[in-house]
Amino acid sequence: MSEKLETKATSIIEGFREKWTTAKIVDLLVRNSLLIVILLVMVYFATQNERFASLGNLRAVLIAAAPFALIALGQTIVILTGGIDLSVGSVVALGAMSAAWLSLRLPPEQLWLAILIAVILGTIAGVINGLVIAYLDVPPFVATLGMLTAASGFAYVIGGGAPINGLPAEFAIIANAKIFGFQLPVYMMLGSFIIMALVMRYSAFGLRVYAVGGNRTAAEVAGVNAKRTLVQVYTLSGFFAGISGVVLASRVGSGPPSLGVGYELLAIAAVVIGGASLMGGRGTVWGTFLGLIIIQTLGNGLDIMIVPAYWQNVINGVVIVSAVAVDVWANRRRTR
Amino acid sequence: MKKWNRRGLLLATSSVAALVLAGCATAAEEPATTTSAAAGAATECTDLSIGVSPYGMSSFITQGQEGMEAFADANGIKLLWTSAENDIATQASQIDTFLNQGVNAIIIAPVGADSLGPQLQAAADAKIPVIAVNTTLTNDALIMSSVLPDDVAAGAQEMQQMADHLGGKGNIVVLQGPLGSSPELDRTAGINSVLENYPDIKILAIETANWSRVEAANLMANWITSFGGKIDGVVSENDDMAIGAIQAMKEAAISPLLPVVGIDGIEDGLRAIEAGEMIGSSLQHGRVELAAGLAVAQKVACGEMVEKVYVYTMPPINADNVASYIGNVVTETEAFLARLPELIAKNLETGNIANED
Repeated sequence: MSEKLETKATSIIEGFREKWTTAKIVDLLVRNSLLIVILLVMVYFATQNERFASLGNLRAVLIAAAPFALIALGQTIVILTGGIDLSVGSVVALGAMSAAWLSLRLPPEQLWLAILIAVILGTIAGVINGLVIAYLDVPPFVATLGMLTAASGFAYVIGGGAPINGLPAEFAIIANAKIFGFQLPVYMMLGSFIIMALVMRYSAFGLRVYAVGGNRTAAEVAGVNAKRTLVQVYTLSGFFAGISGVVLASRVGSGPPSLGVGYELLAIAAVVIGGASLMGGRGTVWGTFLGLIIIQTLGNGLDIMIVPAYWQNVINGVVIVSAVAVDVWANRRRTR
Repeated sequence: MKKWNRRGLLLATSSVAALVLAGCATAAEEPATTTSAAAGAATECTDLSIGVSPYGMSSFITQGQEGMEAFADANGIKLLWTSAENDIATQASQIDTFLNQGVNAIIIAPVGADSLGPQLQAAADAKIPVIAVNTTLTNDALIMSSVLPDDVAAGAQEMQQMADHLGGKGNIVVLQGPLGSSPELDRTAGINSVLENYPDIKILAIETANWSRVEAANLMANWITSFGGKIDGVVSENDDMAIGAIQAMKEAAISPLLPVVGIDGIEDGLRAIEAGEMIGSSLQHGRVELAAGLAVAQKVACGEMVEKVYVYTMPPINADNVASYIGNVVTETEAFLARLPELIAKNLETGNIANED
């Protein structure tokens, strides 16, 4: 009787051991290293300042993250095809400036038109990027570098070189309307992430993006229209950048033509921290979300601890490189 | 003492001009360095062409362009406008172009404080005077004259406004311009100089938000988390960041808003003061400052004596006087530009460059 029970217990322990070998636990930890790092960082900040873990601070982090999140999302899809979109920062400025310009000229009840046109302009910038890359075979780095300059130029043209200020109060509603205590852009961010995560995972479009990024020739042989897929991803990136510009302009009631300078690098940082390969074919929307959260959490926590901006830059640089180094190491370990 | 003398000499040798412009007599006494057709001098002074190369088209420079154009129209000056788009090389080539065109004077707002050495030398060799407005060079030996804002005084002024509002006691946070930039360094120095008199005012945090509303809003939001209700006032080195800080307070539902003070007197800043969301600012009016620069350039080109530096001391704006400044800066700019040429001439006489009455 007791012997039977003992055998049973042993077998359970054995079973557990078989299921949870050291190697497997290590593997699990490594695979979720980013998530673990984020949690550790959050716990650390929470011990440093009790208000870090407050609802108010969560709101502050999310509203600051939202505009970056949108462009990082577009950037993720582009990078999955092995491309890069350097123009997002300028397209943000283009979206912000055109929305600001139109909002001053349209009656309040037609403000939606200002937003729509701004987003369409961003989308058009993306379409042009895609067409130039897919059909003229201009390398993405060069094509989007050209758009970076051109869109920035247009942003300055719209404002005659100056910021457009004094935007109508109705325009501020886009970024300042609150639902359940959170501002609208927070829902735009979360909604976009969920939709794109599902699209990339379950839709034919998602499959095509991964296929083109993994091996374009093979994808084409398998019947994927790679050129069309490329146009689609850059279009999406321009679309998200346009929305981001509208959100930023609406939040602070101003369209500065210099808005968005350097945002493309922040977006790329979020994507690579999230484990995507700049070579294409590997990466996830969820990874980018984590990458974005760690960048924003660090910025927020270090501000709260009153760490000077220069040191924050040093820390961010170290985080980007070490996150990617860990990721590369983990992948090599897995394939070995 | 000015080294420049060709125009002065030419005018002095032109009998009519010598009678009118008695002020250039000292310049005429200096040895002549070039010989030129004296006949051209009088016409040059009534038909000046002046090249302008600002660092870029900020809203400040855009305002300034309006002021310069109003002054130029009233005085028959032909303005050649360019913009360096924040690129040192672009600015250098623009100045080269002006030199080739043989303009009567060049007005610059340098992109970088240590740039343009060769261009200024070439201008000196070609006897074309260079005047700096708004920003200047570290080595200003070859700059004839300049009209510059007193950023130290502006920083001191805004800190004084806040200190008075707080009754000399409380905790503040400070939003700085891009670290290491000259307005940031000067405005911060001004803030600190006033704080020395107020041992009971404590800086909880001082950090850059790079003149940006969005950055300031995010930074202020984080400071609100960090310090909770301990912040008593926000001192921002420009109005844009002040407005960003106000946005963060609104998002965090802080009511009533904490006192905020800025610098520059941009439209949205003036509106915020009018609405009681900011306690004050210091006006840097591009129309006045840059038009003064053009007036100085005109004087130099016509051989008149000028000061080495004209200081634009930013007038304080508060709830009491904001209405008249809103008129000058925003709502009644046409009327203001109409009386600007006369105002500028008067200001150069009195030396009170920033006066708007």
